[in-house]
Amino acid sequence: MSEPEIATTETAPRQSPRGLDRPFMQRRAEFEEALARNASARGAEAGASLPRASLWSDAFHRFMKNRASVVAAVAFLLLLAFVIFVPWLSNEDPYAIDFSQAYQSPSWSHPFGTDGFGRDLFIRTALGGRVSFAIGFAATFAIMVVGIVYGATAGFLGGHVDNALMRFLDALYGLPYLPFAIMTLAVFGTVNFWTMVVALTIASWFTTARVMRGQIITLKQNDYVRAAYAVGAKGPRVLYRHLLMNTLGVIIVFVFLELPGVILGEAFLSFLGLGINPPKASWGTLAQDGYTAYATHPYIIVIPSICIAWLILSAFFIADGLRDALDPRTKEA
Amino acid sequence: MLAFIIRRIVWTIPVLLLVILMTFSMMKLIKGNPFQVTERPVPESIQRNLDRKFHLDKPWWAQYLYYVRDTARLDLGPSLVQRNQDVNDVIKEHFPTSIKLGLMAMIFAIVVGIPLGVFAALKHNSVLDYTAMGIANLGFALPSFLVATLLIYFFALRLKDYTGLPTNGWEGPSSWVLPTIALGIYPMTYFARLVRGTVLETLQQDYIRTAKAKGLRWRFVVAKHVLRNSLIPAVTAAGPVLGGLITGSFIVETIFGIPGIGKYYVTAVTGRDYSVVMGITVLLSVIIIVANLVVDILYGYLDPRIRDERT
Repeated sequence: MSEPEIATTETAPRQSPRGLDRPFMQRRAEFEEALARNASARGAEAGASLPRASLWSDAFHRFMKNRASVVAAVAFLLLLAFVIFVPWLSNEDPYAIDFSQAYQSPSWSHPFGTDGFGRDLFIRTALGGRVSFAIGFAATFAIMVVGIVYGATAGFLGGHVDNALMRFLDALYGLPYLPFAIMTLAVFGTVNFWTMVVALTIASWFTTARVMRGQIITLKQNDYVRAAYAVGAKGPRVLYRHLLMNTLGVIIVFVFLELPGVILGEAFLSFLGLGINPPKASWGTLAQDGYTAYATHPYIIVIPSICIAWLILSAFFIADGLRDALDPRTKEA
Repeated sequence: MLAFIIRRIVWTIPVLLLVILMTFSMMKLIKGNPFQVTERPVPESIQRNLDRKFHLDKPWWAQYLYYVRDTARLDLGPSLVQRNQDVNDVIKEHFPTSIKLGLMAMIFAIVVGIPLGVFAALKHNSVLDYTAMGIANLGFALPSFLVATLLIYFFALRLKDYTGLPTNGWEGPSSWVLPTIALGIYPMTYFARLVRGTVLETLQQDYIRTAKAKGLRWRFVVAKHVLRNSLIPAVTAAGPVLGGLITGSFIVETIFGIPGIGKYYVTAVTGRDYSVVMGITVLLSVIIIVANLVVDILYGYLDPRIRDERT
């Protein structure tokens, strides 16, 4: 390797000894640029270019190497596309009742058949998926917000605050999941999209909070946190930039762990008749519809259940792949 | 060790109080007086007497203390909907069924799940491993209402002539089979995955290599070293799983029409019988808390490092 190339590699960090107070993205861009320059310089010599190495592109490459996770990601996107596009493209009326069309077996005009009211199940499954996904995404988002705020507060402040918050969380762990969600719905008195989201969130934010606390406590002991304090960074800044930013990987993994759980929880509630009211439907309501006719038309309960299973499995393998991709320390090569 | 156990038991008291408080306040938040739900309005004098009898004229914290006191005396109060029936009667009538169903599902999960996980790990990356894990993944992903319905459809309807199993009810062993499997499949897959993971981990330990190097028969190594060391996580996981099975059979009980506590809970919620809802929730919480307590003590016993970490 010749002299100037080494120089380019080393000037980038040296130019910004107090680079800590510049925006993260800017510093990262510079860093990546320097790496790329270095890589292309070396690549020119070796006759090939080295891949850029940022956390996300690294993680992406590692994720793409995990075949099960890639298949799962494709499956997940297919399901999402089905749910989003089918109601747009289809001109079937999902609420039109036509008893002459009741309980049709799957055919070209009705790929999933029809239900007892003669409604097309293909479009109803897609629409039900929209409801399930919407509740799932909203509740997962709420779980993340509540869990992160609660867990980060406990982990960052430590001491008595941490103790009190964790004791409270311990007590909440004693509450059974479904009854707790059902009681929350009873408190609201009505079941609609938002009360469902709140009920599911209240019943299932504990694990995220606990994991976040553990993450923050582990990260707090890193040298770079001490270094940040030493150069004069204040608490909130350290919390945001050095602690929370470093938990992003865990948070993304948890999104894919919570999403299927919440959607399944909603399906259970709807199946028990405690969910969204007809004629609106989620996968759980569709499954309940199917259950009432299982003896003669078993495919009606199978379709929404397969959708749920599809979602659970794909999300699970995506989470698995993301965990390995974002935290390579947990997996030996 | 004794100090750890005592500390752990004492700590459950505030947890219980808090759980009861949360349940209690949620019930208080539900709008409306329970005695005004019926169409016929209650005369004011009777209303006052009722309020006094159930301490509804006292401030909320006094009502809470009364409820805690009664709960401690194992009296969960009267049902609001069923005349002349206490919550205790409801529990006595329906809970044994749920316990029985939960225990049988637990036995099914352990008897099938643990060997499945062990064999899958011992034959790592073989056809058996992939098949077992495929089944485990399916059982993990398929919602219990589908599993239950398909079991009924195939084994109680299509193959009725061969199996002779009823589609629903809870009379006699033949009606226990399908609900037990339906409820037990999910924990079965859980045990299978858990045990497979721990066995694979144990197989890589140095003492296994030592045992093999000593020339011990492989069967002996597995029985003596691998199993003993890898089943501890399964033992400690068993507590919460059993708690979950006893308290979480809503779907299965509803589908099979089993007169257990989960089915009654759903009926009570739709029928607005809130004292029953509250009583059952408190009962289920107590079971989960006790299950966690037992596991913690067991864990502290099996792994001394835990004792100092936890309270």
